[in-house]
Amino acid sequence: MRRLMPVVALLAILGTGIAGCGDRSLILTVNVLSFLDPSETSATYSAPGGFPSGTVDIADRSVNLLQGLNDATDVASATLDFAATLDNQTGTATGTLLFYAVPSDTASLFTSIPIASIPISLTPGTITNVSTRVTSDALAEALVSDQARVGIRLSLDTSATPLGQNVQGTETITQLLATVVTKKKI
Amino acid sequence: MRGAMVLLAVVTLLTGIAIPNAPAQTIDARRLGMGGVITSDMGAASAANIAFRAVPKGRGHHSIPLPLGLIQLASDPPEFDSDSPDFNVFEIADLITNPPLTLSLSRPDPVSSDVRIYVAQDSLSVDLEDLRRIIPESSLRNGGVTHLPGFAVGFRKAFVGISPLVHVQNQLDLEPALRAVLRDAAPFTTRTRYGLGDVGVAQGAFAFQAGLAFRAFHAPVPGQEKDEEKGDGDPRRSGATALYVGAAPKILYGVAYGDLRSLGGATTGDTLLGSGDPVSLDVAARTRHAIAGGDGGSGHGFGADVGAVLYWRNLEIGVGMNDLASEIDWKVTERMHVYDDSLDEFTTTPIAIDRDFTSRIPVTTTINVARRFGVTTLAATVVDAPLSTSVHLGAEMWMGLIAVRAGTYRDANDAWQVTGGGGVRFGKIGIDLAVASHQRYIEEKRAVEMAASLTLY
Repeated sequence: MRRLMPVVALLAILGTGIAGCGDRSLILTVNVLSFLDPSETSATYSAPGGFPSGTVDIADRSVNLLQGLNDATDVASATLDFAATLDNQTGTATGTLLFYAVPSDTASLFTSIPIASIPISLTPGTITNVSTRVTSDALAEALVSDQARVGIRLSLDTSATPLGQNVQGTETITQLLATVVTKKKI
Repeated sequence: MRGAMVLLAVVTLLTGIAIPNAPAQTIDARRLGMGGVITSDMGAASAANIAFRAVPKGRGHHSIPLPLGLIQLASDPPEFDSDSPDFNVFEIADLITNPPLTLSLSRPDPVSSDVRIYVAQDSLSVDLEDLRRIIPESSLRNGGVTHLPGFAVGFRKAFVGISPLVHVQNQLDLEPALRAVLRDAAPFTTRTRYGLGDVGVAQGAFAFQAGLAFRAFHAPVPGQEKDEEKGDGDPRRSGATALYVGAAPKILYGVAYGDLRSLGGATTGDTLLGSGDPVSLDVAARTRHAIAGGDGGSGHGFGADVGAVLYWRNLEIGVGMNDLASEIDWKVTERMHVYDDSLDEFTTTPIAIDRDFTSRIPVTTTINVARRFGVTTLAATVVDAPLSTSVHLGAEMWMGLIAVRAGTYRDANDAWQVTGGGGVRFGKIGIDLAVASHQRYIEEKRAVEMAASLTLY
């Protein structure tokens, strides 16, 4: 049993190879959100108050991608559209919502430099919508590999919340769409 | 091994797609201006009907095509460097399917676009954009029988000669699911087989031919018996009744033969992009081959070209059949090649060695009708070739030393084309020009070409 993606990758690479003049790009759009488990796209978080730094790991998942793409193409650009909604119920905190992506053979996901970082400010009983668009060479490196590992982490400074109380709420990732534009290398 | 196999399959697919059933190119400007018709007074017509050899020349002509397209090619050549951003393999393919012998007055934009892939856990689609235009809606067939220039010597009504012939034919069929993915950018679905099949044959031989073409029946118009008996009469315009026949049996020395019947595909599993992305690949192919000096040795066979043309009251009706009953006996090596998905390798199993096998060279039949009314000629031709049947209609009118021509033809892809042109004659020499639409480019969109010929009367 084999994987479908090598067939698709070859077809696409050959397609761009013969597609002629013009931009002649292979545009890979990966709906990263679709690979996440529902419990990861919408999950509750809880962090104890009184700590200047704390993290909540929301997602950590492997994503199968196009085999052979890295060898056959040069990356021209990569962008990520990242959006989320945070429904904070208790506590006050500031922090960042982080998105990570690395090739699967990378040792540790969450020690890599995040691809996207969205500042957030949480207050009790508020719903916050955040979004960003970033361009990233590291994202491109991850998404043209055979298999990537993606993760989402919430980093919070809960020092504004008294000790003994928690910052609690629900995060919902609403968009996680990566677009990689590559040029034929072979 | 797996990568090579997949690459081979995809290259086969794209190569087959890139060279569709290209209609033949007519470079004789007089003939092109008349819709590509064949009549007995065209110099090269004897290749289509051997009986034309025996018909008096009359007002017949020999054309020397002027390859105007070569000038155009020299001034604006395609990019051959694949590393160049201007490189476009479709321009190269267009050059092959549409040799630059005629001047291109207009042509479709070359295929050129991005390729988009959308990947999600439960969805995968590939949009080839412009490339979708070249994915055929039905079977993709190409090839034909080509008689290459040889050597022939004539002795009055008889001739002997030797010429090479090549027969190449291929049919590629995409299963509906694969066609939808490529042509309509339909998303891949689970538990679906994306398959294709290919049947191809190629053989080459030398034809040693001896032929005879003569007038078998003649009834001159009363009062013109003298001219007719001297052979000076032109049966096309004399009103006489005459039947010319010709036959040229040939001994075929087969140099090489090969054929392939293959099926292949990829079947998706329960999930498209799950943890294992299970896809099972299957390829099975049966090959047969023989080659002079190698497996099976040379082939030996017989065939014939036959033809007849009847003139009755200035009406010309001709039937020519080339490669009639042409067969070559071979001793072929037969093998079965099967891809084992679990082992990720091909297994080749010999089925037979030196098995008797007879290949056929397909018949090409040319039927032509022409009627001359003084300075006007009306003509029609049907050419039934191995992969297609083309229909040609044309007219020519001489006004002094100037000729005006018009025609239409249905090409090998069943598309009707329009032609027109003219010529001027200076004694024994003339110049002819023709403008015609065609769809030989792989984009299969209509283009316009101009042909020019120097004509010797």
